[in-house]
Amino acid sequence: MLATGVILALLASCKPTATPTIPPPAAPTAAPTAPPPTQPPARKVATFIWTQEPDVLNPLYTNMWFSSITQQIWNCWAWDFDDQNNPRPVLVKEMPSEENGGISPDGRVITLKLRDDIVWSDGKPITSEDFVFTYEMTMNPKNTVASTHPYDKLEKVEAPDARTVVMTFKEPFAAWQATLWRGLLPAHILRPVFEKEGTIDNAGWNRAPTVGCGPFVFKEWESGSFIRFVANDNYWLGRPKIDEIFIRIVPDDASQVAALKAGDADLGTFIAYSDIPTLEQAGVQMVTVFSGYNEGWYFYLHPEKGHPALKDVRVRQAIAMAFDRFSICKDLLLGLTKPPATYWANTPWQDPTLEPWPYDPERAQQLLDEAGWKDTNGDGVRDKDGVELVLTLGTTTRQIRRDVQAVAQQQLAQVGIKLELANADPDIFFASYGEGGPCATGQYDIFEYSTTPQYPDPDTADWLCKEIPSDENPAGVNWQAVCDEELDALFQLQATQVDPAERMKTFHKITRLIYEKVYWLGVWEDPDIWAVGPRLKNVRLSGATPFFNIIEWDLSQ
Amino acid sequence: MLRYVIRRLLQAIPLLFIISIILFVLMQNMGDPLATLGGRQVTRSEDRQRLARQLGLDQPLYMQYLYWLIGNDWTKMDLDGDGVPETPGRRKGVLRGDFGVSLVAKKPVVQVIWDRLPNTLLLMGVTELVIIVGSLVIGMYSALRQYSFLDHLITAISFIGYSMPIFFVALLSMYIFAVNFKRWGLPYLPTVGMFDPQVGKTPGQVALHMVLPVFSLSFIYFAAYSRYIRSAMLEVLSQDYIRTARAKGLPRPTIIFIHALKNASLPIVTVVGLDLPFLLAGAIVTERIFAWPGMGRLFLDHVSRGDTPVVMGILMMIAVAVVVFQILTDIVYAWLDPRIRYE
Repeated sequence: MLATGVILALLASCKPTATPTIPPPAAPTAAPTAPPPTQPPARKVATFIWTQEPDVLNPLYTNMWFSSITQQIWNCWAWDFDDQNNPRPVLVKEMPSEENGGISPDGRVITLKLRDDIVWSDGKPITSEDFVFTYEMTMNPKNTVASTHPYDKLEKVEAPDARTVVMTFKEPFAAWQATLWRGLLPAHILRPVFEKEGTIDNAGWNRAPTVGCGPFVFKEWESGSFIRFVANDNYWLGRPKIDEIFIRIVPDDASQVAALKAGDADLGTFIAYSDIPTLEQAGVQMVTVFSGYNEGWYFYLHPEKGHPALKDVRVRQAIAMAFDRFSICKDLLLGLTKPPATYWANTPWQDPTLEPWPYDPERAQQLLDEAGWKDTNGDGVRDKDGVELVLTLGTTTRQIRRDVQAVAQQQLAQVGIKLELANADPDIFFASYGEGGPCATGQYDIFEYSTTPQYPDPDTADWLCKEIPSDENPAGVNWQAVCDEELDALFQLQATQVDPAERMKTFHKITRLIYEKVYWLGVWEDPDIWAVGPRLKNVRLSGATPFFNIIEWDLSQ
Repeated sequence: MLRYVIRRLLQAIPLLFIISIILFVLMQNMGDPLATLGGRQVTRSEDRQRLARQLGLDQPLYMQYLYWLIGNDWTKMDLDGDGVPETPGRRKGVLRGDFGVSLVAKKPVVQVIWDRLPNTLLLMGVTELVIIVGSLVIGMYSALRQYSFLDHLITAISFIGYSMPIFFVALLSMYIFAVNFKRWGLPYLPTVGMFDPQVGKTPGQVALHMVLPVFSLSFIYFAAYSRYIRSAMLEVLSQDYIRTARAKGLPRPTIIFIHALKNASLPIVTVVGLDLPFLLAGAIVTERIFAWPGMGRLFLDHVSRGDTPVVMGILMMIAVAVVVFQILTDIVYAWLDPRIRYE
C-alpha cells in the first residue's frame, strides 16, 4: 500500500523528467512580432557533498579537514599551493625569500609585502592590522583556539605600515611556508567582539562569517543540512564563474554515491575505493590527489613495555617482508594505489632511492631464525626464551582496515607470527596517554592509521624523544615510543634549516634511517579521492589547498 | 488526578538527578574529545594540554559534573596555565537553564538542539501520523476480515517490512525511486537533503524530500502497530458487550468505532506513549542515509566527538520527555477506561 502511495505521489508531484517530449506543431503566425525578451541567464549553482559537517568556520577554531577545505572557499590564505604544490601568492605580492629580502640571513625574520588591491568582501581593505589581530587572537589564552601552532614559534608580529607584516621567530623556523596564515580574521569585525566579551569564542562570525576574503562569500548555514556561499564580486583575483556553491551535508557514503550518480551533486570526496568503478560508469570523473597521507604500521618500541621481539630490527624487517602490501593495494584497493616506502612517500623529502620493502616470506623466515625466534614447542608460533611471538595489531573500526588486519593475520601466520586483532572507535583509538588511549598507552604492539606531516612541509613531532607519552607527559604524541638519538637529532636539525637544499639532505637521511630500521611500515599511499560530476568544468585540485583555482571552475548547464 | 500528577512530577526530580549522574559518568568513557578534534591528525600535545585546561577537561570528574550542574561563575579558572586561577567562570549550570557550550560547534547547547529539533519533529511527526493512521486502517481491516485473502497478504507484507533493516529499505527505495527512476526517464524523487538548492526551501520541496524517509520509516513500523491493533480489536470484538451492542441493533460503525476501537486503543496508547518521547531523538539511520538534518544525526555526530555538553543536553531532554509522556499516557488511560482511577 505504501509503495503504491509512493508511486502515486511520484506521478502526481515530482520534478520534471528528463524524458524528451515532442513539441506541438507551431501555430502559423499572422505577422512578425517583436523578439521575446531575453531570459536572464540561470544562476550557476554547484552542489558539493561533504560527508562531515564543518564544526565551525573560523579557521582558528577547527582541526577538521572538511572545515579547512571549506575555508578556502570563503576565507583567504596569504598564499596557497597549486596542483604541483608550488606556493602561489594570494594576499602577498611575492613569496618572501632571502633574495628579495623577505627572509633575514639568520632565518628569524620574515617580512610580507601585501598586495594593494586586497579587500574584505564588505569592501574594507585587508591590512597588516588583520595579520597582527589574527596572531593576537591565536595566542590569547582566553580564546580556546584549536591550535596555537605555528604562532607559538613567533616572538612577535609587527605592522610597520598597512602593507607590511614583519614576523620575528624565536629561532629559525623551516616550516613557515606550509603553516603560517592559513586563514585571516577581519579585525574590524572581531575586535569589537573581543573588547566587549574578552574572547571571540562565542562570536557569531565563527559560524556565520558574513565578511570574508575568499572567492565566495558566506550566505547561510543550516545546521546539519547545508552551507551556502555566493560569488564575491570584490575578489581581487577575479570573480568566480560559478554564482553559488551549495555544500550539502550527507554523512552516509552510500547516499553520497547515489546522489553523485543521480546528478544531485557536482563534487564529492572521501570516496571509498570500492565505489570508484560504479561512479566512473555513471560518468563521474574520479581524481586522486596526494595530500601527504600514508597508511602505515607503527611498532611500539617502549624500552620496558614493548614486546621483546619488536626491539630486534630483524624481526621488524621480517614482518615487512612477510606482509604482502602489494596484494592489499591490488586486491582490496583495486590497484588504485601502492605501498609507500616511507612516511614521506610521494614527496621530494623522501630519499628517492628507497623502494617499499619487498614481499619475500622466505627471507622473512630466515631473519626470524637469525634473530632466535623459532617454534620450539610446535604450536605453529615462534617463541624465544619462553616468550611467544604473539603481537596485537590495533586499528580503528574502518572496514578497509579490518580487511587489512585479516589479511595480515593470515600472512604473518605463514611465517610463525601470530597476530591478535583489536579495533576501537577513532575517538578512543586516538585518545592520549592521559585519557588511556590504546596506542598511546602501549596496548597494541602494532597500530595502523593514516597521517601526514605538515603537508606540503615534511615536519612532524611524532618521532621526537621528548614526545614519548608518560605519566609526566600524558599528551605526548610519539606513541610508538621510538627514541633513536640519531633520528631525534636529525629531526631537531631540520626544523631550523631554512635552506631547502640543506633540509632536503637531512630529510633523506631521516627517511633512510626510518626505512632501514623499519620504525614505520607503509601499507598504502592514501590520496584524497574526489568525484567530479559531468557538469563541472576546469577543475584542478591541489593536495594542500584543493580549491586553489576555484574561480576558474564552471558549470555546463 | 492533579495530586497524582504533582506526585509523579516530584518523584521525577531525584530520578532525573540520578540519570544525569549515570549519563555524565558514561560519557567520560565515550572517547577523548581532544583526541583529533575531528581532524585527520592527532592533536599536538601542547594544544591538548592547553585546551584541556581552558575547557575544564583537566578537572576531576566530580568537579566537571558540578560545573555542568550548577555552573562555574562562583569560582575562577586558570586559562593561561600559570597555576593561578584568574578568570571568572561564565557557566551558569543546568539548574539555571545553561546547558553549556558545545565543544564542537562552539555555540550554546540549547541553540544546537533547537536548530535541529523542528526538522526532527516534522519528519517524525509526519511519520508517526502516517504509521498510526495507516496501521489503524490496516489493523482494523485485518481484524474485521480475519483470515481473508487480503488479511493474509497484509500480514505477509507486514512481516517482510518488519524483518527488513531500515538501512536496506532506505537505500533500496533511494536507488529505485531516485537513481533508477531518473535513469529510466520516469518521474523521480530526490536522493538526499531537504530541498533542491536550485529551487529553494519551499514547502513543496520539503514535502517531496520527505517522501522517501517517511516511507522507509513507516514501512518498518507498520507491521508492529497494525498487528497490535489487529489483535486488540479481535479480542474486543469477541467480548460480550459487543454482542450485546449488536443484539441491541446498534449501527455497525458505532459498534466498531465507538465501542470496540475505544477499548482496543489501550495497548496502542501504551505503545504510542512509549514511542513519542523518542520522536525527539530522531531516527539515526534514516536521517543519516537521507541527509535529513535532525536530532538523530546530531546525537551521533556529537557522541563521536565526545561532546559531553550536547550529548547530555539531548539525553536529558529525552529523559524529561519520557517522564512527561508517561504521565500523559496515564491520563489518557483514565480517559479511555473509566475503571482506571489514580486517587
